[in-house]
Amino acid sequence: MSEFLQDPSVLTKDKLKSALLAHNVALPNGEQRKGVYVDLYLKNLTAQNRRSAAPEPAFSSDEEPPAPVLSGRSRSGRKATRKTDRVRPEEIDVTELTNEGLKDQLLKYGVNAGPIVASTRKLYEKKLQKLLDQGPPETVVQLSEPAVTGNSQNGNTDSDQYSDKEEEATKAEPEPEPEPVPVVERPMRSRGKAPVTTRTRSGQHKIEKLSAVEQTPKTPDRDVLKELFPNETLNTPTGISATRRQPIKGAAGRSFSDSWRDDLRPRLTEIRHTSSSSSSSSYTETRSAIHRTNAVPLNALPLSSILKPAAPPAVQVKTRRRLPVWLQLLLLSAVAGFLFFVYQAMETNEMNPFGQSASSGALGSTSK
Amino acid sequence: MSTTSQKHRDFVAEPMGDKPVTALSGIGEVLGKKLEEQGFDKAFVVLGQFLLLRKDQELFAEWLKDTSGANARQAASCSQCLTEWCDAFL
Repeated sequence: MSEFLQDPSVLTKDKLKSALLAHNVALPNGEQRKGVYVDLYLKNLTAQNRRSAAPEPAFSSDEEPPAPVLSGRSRSGRKATRKTDRVRPEEIDVTELTNEGLKDQLLKYGVNAGPIVASTRKLYEKKLQKLLDQGPPETVVQLSEPAVTGNSQNGNTDSDQYSDKEEEATKAEPEPEPEPVPVVERPMRSRGKAPVTTRTRSGQHKIEKLSAVEQTPKTPDRDVLKELFPNETLNTPTGISATRRQPIKGAAGRSFSDSWRDDLRPRLTEIRHTSSSSSSSSYTETRSAIHRTNAVPLNALPLSSILKPAAPPAVQVKTRRRLPVWLQLLLLSAVAGFLFFVYQAMETNEMNPFGQSASSGALGSTSK
Repeated sequence: MSTTSQKHRDFVAEPMGDKPVTALSGIGEVLGKKLEEQGFDKAFVVLGQFLLLRKDQELFAEWLKDTSGANARQAASCSQCLTEWCDAFL
């Protein structure tokens, strides 16, 4: 296949190399700059272009079936075959335009180009080429506007690139190939740029497609939501429904009897009864009470000294503990007693420890 | 804080003066060398090119990619760096 490109720099380096190889052009060794390949291409192939101006339709029919001629050509060999196949009123060779001409052409597309000098010329040629590929200037003006106005935003340029691709795809064929493209780009578009309305050329069927596609995700969302919240009878505007939290015991004038009703305080009644009968400082009764209750929260005990009124029977729930509460209390009392004993033994030590250790020891033992 | 690199912040913080082209965000040693080969040996020359393209970030990024072989990220970074510098000092 020969591509009769006027400006081969629109092709990638790989494509250039493959095209050159296809025509048995000797490639230089190693990775060269693209310009090298472009030159070779121009020399070898563009020369052929002038020779063979006739067999264009033959080539096109080789590549694609003749039915979708216009669009087919633009699909596969899009950059390659399109330029020479289609007859266009405007000049097709951007490289042969003068600086002025190039600037004018760009202006037609609404691109306000800067000075076209040596360093910028190639860029503008490429840009014009891209614009020409998209079609006549009138429809492209609206396309390029979001690109031109949103220069400084990376997001905008992305959408422009996506739109380019999409243009090619939809122009091509009514195949499933363009289908995924608009579907993929739908989330890009619907992000809020509203370029859909500006696309006039391929816009109509695309708008329908978009609207059709946009409907479908909404309905599954609703089903999923309904599945997640089947008990959603209230349908508040925000969808938030509050559930009462557990009231804090002893707060805001709430007596503990109320809190008991809500909370799972096992066997508080028993503790309460036993502790009220005995003195609060003695742990033995509580210990025996707790002995019966297998699992009780520890903070029930400090409360036991406070609570006096009758309490409804509490819900008995066993909470897991490594050591039973009575055992913990036993240990605590043992340690406390030990410390008390030690303190008492050492208390009256006013005398000189070095001189009369015997008497202090005796005093200590007697004072106990 | 935005996702700018330290190099970016350093460049945008003051007039570029005579800084080398490698002071630009996104331009490292390799790219800097390639640019110098093309004649863009100082940051202000690259700025000149940027201004010639009417401060169009997209065009400038494309130019940078063609000239120095930068990838899209580097080119975008340099573009952004120059844009911000221009906003601050031009």
